[in-house]
Amino acid sequence: MTTEINARQNYARVLILWVAVLVGLYAFQEYFS
Amino acid sequence: MHPIDWTIIAVYLSWIVWDGLRLTKRSHELEGYFLASRSLPWWAVGLSVMATQLSAITMIGTTGQGYEDGMRFLQFYYALPLAMIVLSVTLVPFFHNARVFTAYEFLEQRFDAKTRAFTSLLFLFSRSMSLGVVISAPAVVLAVVLNISVTNTALLIALPTAVYTMFGGVQAVTWTDVKQVVLIVFGLIAAIVVLVLGLPGEVSVPQALRIAGATGRLQTFDFSFDLTNQYTFWSGTIAAFFLFCSYFGTDQSQVQRYLAAKSVSAARSSLMMSAYWKIPLQALVLLVGVFMFLFYLFTPAPMLFNAVHDRELREGPRAAEYGTLEGRFVTANEARRRAGLELADADASGDAARLTAAGSAFAAREAEVRSIRGEALSLVREATGDESYNDVNYVFPTFILTQMPVGLIGLLIAAIFAAAMSTISAEMASLSTATVIDFYRRFAKGYATDRHYLWVSRLATGFWGLFASGVAIWAAELGSLIEVVNRFGSFFYGSILGVFVLAVGFRHTTANGAFLGLLAGMGAVAWAASFTGVAFLWHNVIGAVVVVIVGLTVSAVEGLGRRVSGVGS
Repeated sequence: MTTEINARQNYARVLILWVAVLVGLYAFQEYFS
Repeated sequence: MHPIDWTIIAVYLSWIVWDGLRLTKRSHELEGYFLASRSLPWWAVGLSVMATQLSAITMIGTTGQGYEDGMRFLQFYYALPLAMIVLSVTLVPFFHNARVFTAYEFLEQRFDAKTRAFTSLLFLFSRSMSLGVVISAPAVVLAVVLNISVTNTALLIALPTAVYTMFGGVQAVTWTDVKQVVLIVFGLIAAIVVLVLGLPGEVSVPQALRIAGATGRLQTFDFSFDLTNQYTFWSGTIAAFFLFCSYFGTDQSQVQRYLAAKSVSAARSSLMMSAYWKIPLQALVLLVGVFMFLFYLFTPAPMLFNAVHDRELREGPRAAEYGTLEGRFVTANEARRRAGLELADADASGDAARLTAAGSAFAAREAEVRSIRGEALSLVREATGDESYNDVNYVFPTFILTQMPVGLIGLLIAAIFAAAMSTISAEMASLSTATVIDFYRRFAKGYATDRHYLWVSRLATGFWGLFASGVAIWAAELGSLIEVVNRFGSFFYGSILGVFVLAVGFRHTTANGAFLGLLAGMGAVAWAASFTGVAFLWHNVIGAVVVVIVGLTVSAVEGLGRRVSGVGS
């Protein structure tokens, strides 16, 4: 059970970071273009 | 190259073989040899997965792509974290609970022997050919820059790897991968530092990036929906999602890595490492290319990065034409350098109108330099008869050899060797596993001692090592044939994913449904590749979707037939 919760938290972290990285890359592209 | 650099390369090659061989003692039975007794920690598996993907083609090809084209290629990886999550939830627990050695073994448990044998055969065919290319691509480039023969560079890459993989098995592959990926990342960071330090004093890093931005090299998002364009946001998030699910979920060279993890949780965590780090790592590789562009903006750049072709044209019958072109190139380069400095100055001034004008002027000078370089490349194409010739793969090695300090040159060349070896070791091990488990043990000799299977496995690894070396050495002559073979390989990536989707997601799927679906999917992809301009990434979507639709339809018809005959009897 704890392992499952940890796995879900891990997936949520990946998704949040994924969105943050894409937003960051887009901002990087726009700032320097 | 300085003797110190040759020594560093020699020390690296000797050390990595010794390091792999000392793990032989942990590989005395089949599960130990192929799956490290399912005992590896998540972080070692995670780093090994990343090392396998980071091939020498990435080191020399992707940096060259960054130099020529910028960071657009990054979009290709946007779906990777999503694919990792989906695989962690779906296929990873199935594989682990099934206690299989190969992904295809799972298909026999779920469907039948012919589906397993066919998918495994497709894997053996495509992976063995791609293994040859993974060796030959850096071998050809390193042969030019190190001034030794292609045969020697191919053997320098393949033989040490075959030796430690043959004796040390997956233990050796994984633990050498861990060290190799550290060396590769260190090398890339060192290259970035040297490149940044090489910029002129009056141009800061943000100003340099503004210059790169003016040429479109920092573009990482293209929202146009064009099925014929490989690198758009949509192909990177939708089509590449299918490719990554197929590659990480069904390709034995990847599946074998996380089957060696000590638990389902460790296997999932190892995939999450790629989910976190793959995009930043790929961005780092492409940034090396972008900074090389900036470096050569202010430092005299060669017109052609392949020194052999440069020399041939200079000494050949078209030397006068080449000389004139080079004169134009030097003038255009100087104009571009001045335009770059003006752009940096305009950026510092904060004057928006001046910045826009300087940006446009710089883009025009850049287009001129590109056009002259294009003419030079055309001269090489005419001289060599190779119509697809490009020298982007030579940019990074040339930079390393001509601009890096002594010591770092050896380290960076060793990092290119490491990138090649970390990829081919995993591929050799997976080819051997599929050969022995899916064919030899399944069809030839079902009952034998572990010692016997281990002996056969080592022979199989050695065989694939020699086979790949042979393909690599002859790849230059085969040229377009190898390309055709690899294209054929891409025909069934999505289709194999479709079979696994049927296996895991649709419990009513029959063995015939899965097999006929697979054939239909491959046929659909072959049709799309031959008669439409759809970019290859989308072939994965077409293959997977057709397999699932046909597989479910055939299964439904079979089920209906059984029910009808059941009612009738």
